[in-house]
Amino acid sequence: MTIPFQVNYRFDPQTCRHYLNDFCTVLHCHHFVSLYTQLADDAVHFEGERLLKETAEDTFYDVLTDYFTKHHHTTIADQIDIAEQYWQTVGMGKLHFLEVGKYTVRADMPSSHVDQGWLVKWGVKQQPINFITAGFVTAVAALVNHRPPRSYAVRELKSLVSGDEKSVFKATLK
Amino acid sequence: MAIDRQQIIAQMSQIHVKGNTDGIIPAFNVFIQQLPTDFWNGFARRLVNNVAEDLREAAEALLVNAAHECGYHTGYGIIHCPEWETIVGPINEKEPEDILHGAFAVVTAWGWAKSEIVELIPKEKMVIRAYDYYESDVIHYGKAEQPCAYMIRGVSAAFMDLVYGDQPYPDGLKTFQCQQTKGIEIGDEYGEFVVTRRSEMD
Repeated sequence: MTIPFQVNYRFDPQTCRHYLNDFCTVLHCHHFVSLYTQLADDAVHFEGERLLKETAEDTFYDVLTDYFTKHHHTTIADQIDIAEQYWQTVGMGKLHFLEVGKYTVRADMPSSHVDQGWLVKWGVKQQPINFITAGFVTAVAALVNHRPPRSYAVRELKSLVSGDEKSVFKATLK
Repeated sequence: MAIDRQQIIAQMSQIHVKGNTDGIIPAFNVFIQQLPTDFWNGFARRLVNNVAEDLREAAEALLVNAAHECGYHTGYGIIHCPEWETIVGPINEKEPEDILHGAFAVVTAWGWAKSEIVELIPKEKMVIRAYDYYESDVIHYGKAEQPCAYMIRGVSAAFMDLVYGDQPYPDGLKTFQCQQTKGIEIGDEYGEFVVTRRSEMD
């Protein structure tokens, strides 16, 4: 890692809110994530998967934009480095961006909060379910290419929850 | 109430977590993560806004259920963790009521909701007031049509399950249910949550 991700925690005793780098945050567990993910997966008729991916994309697009701006990170290498460290710091897993281009962004994930939590709670699932990281990958793809959210489509090609050694995400320019 | 809420909040709010080398945070018998509140609010609102009106209640029930299960398992982890023993254990004089008071001090310390128990009838009923909670952030101006603090509803019922459930952990889940009767998001000064026994009809 070339640039350390700077973590600034703050607790507001008046409101009893926690802030991580000025964003209000909260601790939740894998049961919560698993049930939200299952809800999104089951909600086929009202596009739950799309909603969860887009919520993640919008949220983390804002978080990373704010960080890159405040810390003057303008190169792709720096932004990727920070994005990977952010995901690790907040407990979402180890994500490696392997290929970053205008048309394709590819990342793999040898450990994942979403998948490991799902496996503990419910066991193996044949279809991938890490919609939150998928949204994070599209946010990063859009940011490093100076495009707005929804510029990239994403597929989870391999998945820890399905028994693969690593999860693999591929975002492609729409 | 023998519990010193301010002491618990002051100490528990200073616990910071961070992903290990694998980016995982194993703590309190679960894996945890620290995401922006905007993410949780964002998905809940998009989901509820996207369903047909006749399915809205069902969607809301699923969001409450997610918090109910989360609160049950994480809550169990919290009240059996070393930090609880260190901070709450020495001032926990009247079980099981003090466990509940202490649990809501932790809920406050962790930023789920600045909340406290205002009425407790052991094994039957609990009323919670929340004076600040992230789920009310969905409104910046005016007020929402309906209350939407699904997470607090679920967690409040879960804590009653842990303390007064018909069966001990892990089989006492869903002994209780919670309704939100007031909400900052609908224009009230605070949120109010009433936990009661789930009837066989529910």
